[in-house]
Amino acid sequence: MNWELIGDILLATVPLLVIFPSMFALTTWVERKALARIQNRIGPNKVGVPLTPYGGNLSLFGLGQPAADGIKMLFKENIVPTGADRLFHLLAPILSLIPAMLVLCFLPLEFPWLNGEQNSVKAFMLDGAVIFFFAITGLNTLAVFMAGWASRNKYSLLGGMRAIAQMVSYEIPLVLSAVVVVMIVGSLNAAEIAEAQAGWNWYVFQPWGLAAFVIFFIAALAETNRSPFDLPEAESEIIAGYFTEYSGFKFALFFLGEYIAMFAISGLAVTLFLGAGGGPGVEALPWLKVIWFLAKVCILIGVMIWLRGTLPRLRVDQLMGFAWKFLLPLSILNIFIAGFAWHAKKANEGTAVSVIVWVAALIILYAAAKGLDHVNRAKVKPRTYQYGE
Amino acid sequence: MSLLGGGIFKGMAVTLRNFVGSYFDKERLTTKEYAWRTDDKLPERAGDYPKEEAEQLSDTTTVTHYSRNFPMLLHDEGEPMDTVRCVACQICERECPPQCIYIEKSKDKMERGGNKAQFYPATFDIDVSVCMSCQICVEVCPFDAIVMNSQFELSTPDRFGGLLLRRDDLLKSNDYYHKIHPEEAAARDKRIADEKAAKEAKKKAAEEAKKKAAEAKAKAEAEAKAKEEAESAEKPAEAPAPTHTDAKKEDNGE
Repeated sequence: MNWELIGDILLATVPLLVIFPSMFALTTWVERKALARIQNRIGPNKVGVPLTPYGGNLSLFGLGQPAADGIKMLFKENIVPTGADRLFHLLAPILSLIPAMLVLCFLPLEFPWLNGEQNSVKAFMLDGAVIFFFAITGLNTLAVFMAGWASRNKYSLLGGMRAIAQMVSYEIPLVLSAVVVVMIVGSLNAAEIAEAQAGWNWYVFQPWGLAAFVIFFIAALAETNRSPFDLPEAESEIIAGYFTEYSGFKFALFFLGEYIAMFAISGLAVTLFLGAGGGPGVEALPWLKVIWFLAKVCILIGVMIWLRGTLPRLRVDQLMGFAWKFLLPLSILNIFIAGFAWHAKKANEGTAVSVIVWVAALIILYAAAKGLDHVNRAKVKPRTYQYGE
Repeated sequence: MSLLGGGIFKGMAVTLRNFVGSYFDKERLTTKEYAWRTDDKLPERAGDYPKEEAEQLSDTTTVTHYSRNFPMLLHDEGEPMDTVRCVACQICERECPPQCIYIEKSKDKMERGGNKAQFYPATFDIDVSVCMSCQICVEVCPFDAIVMNSQFELSTPDRFGGLLLRRDDLLKSNDYYHKIHPEEAAARDKRIADEKAAKEAKKKAAEEAKKKAAEAKAKAEAEAKAKEEAESAEKPAEAPAPTHTDAKKEDNGE
């Protein structure tokens, strides 16, 4: 038995299992607080230090809320609907959590307590990490449909169907926008992608990178069923969609899986476009890389929460139309633009031409997006309403 | 040409303004924080907690004047049961959609506020676990005896008996009503006073009209009699007395 290797693996993996679930707990609190403030409410502010009556004087802005929620979930009754498929009903939340947890390993988080050799990056970093990431997160669709099917509930099934349509559609622009970065770096290895962006060479500062980042972010929102793409769990339409019949600990697992998937996909967005762990003072203090990485992930999560408080839910046809008629053509065009821009920049390094190429690429992409928007919009006629007598 | 996706940024600016604004401008917050009790005592039954009317008021000050929760029975100044407005007519009991009111009429009648003696509720129970706060009982009550309370601190460890509010739990003074719903109570009091005044005026007018009619009748009869007497002077006169008593009998009371 190679104890040293096991120790290294634990050192690389346990932090992931500590950091991200605790970030999940905090995020649920932050989200509730932020949404409340957006709606001019106060949000949870009573649950504080445990075991002091009614929050006592130590309510700490309701920071105890995640703990209270967790305990409540744990002690709830395990309810399985009559006629439901018990095995798959149990399996679905587990299957939604596992891939989300698994892909965290592929994020280029360089923990300071690991030397270069046993880095978590090196421990898990396959050369095809980006492909592997998409392959594994794709399993989430299966879990969602499994939940919808096994619940023996019409709402659940509708939610599951919607989820499949949505996730399959948005997977394509998601992958195609990531392809651009893979193409430019020439590697699928997340660590190499991170290294290629060292020193403020973040791809989001490139015109094609910006377009790809925006597409990636939108598709990521849809992929993780976040508002405004939360059709699979649309409360006002289909109760809670695929987890209508879930309560207690199984619901908590779903919830956890959803948030971990959000962190994972934000982490990938940071890796691909926002320079991974790059930031001020990284050369002098390498341990800042983890901090910067997590800070960027938190900012993306914050934007997701902000969008949730802002945008209303899309209609199903709008959702599909947006993926197939707007994001898909744009992301394909973006691949070509990126290729041309990269070659033009390489041929004319340091001259004014590279600046012109930069501006031209941005204008072409914006014009293409605007044109697509125009083409799609032309078909939308103002609605005519007929009222009953 | 508007910026692509500009609407999203506009919306995000609005939500950001609300987010930041709610920390600096207390006026933005639509809800008031509920003042938690300092002791962690649990109530025995719904009506017991908090025991004093003053304490209930301190609860209801955290909600707006337009909040309503469950009904209460009004009484005027004086001992609650001596001045209760309810006459146990059971209209609310019949109208209540979820049938949460149970009333037992008293055997004897009781005089209140100088009005005619009426029944009073021997039992008046409201099951607040059934009540849906629809306020229909308030709408239908002809005596302004039942109105909505805004007290919400009704939790109890006994989910059956504890949530059944008894007559004595439901009795609240008109002053209390004025404190929790000032506008509504003032409007209601004004309406009651107006109705009373109108009724009195009508009564007076009716009395006067009857008096006049009686007088006119008496006069006419007197004239007729005089005529008759003139025609046949020998015939003895008849007394016109019954007309006055008839007029008094028709005088309507509740």
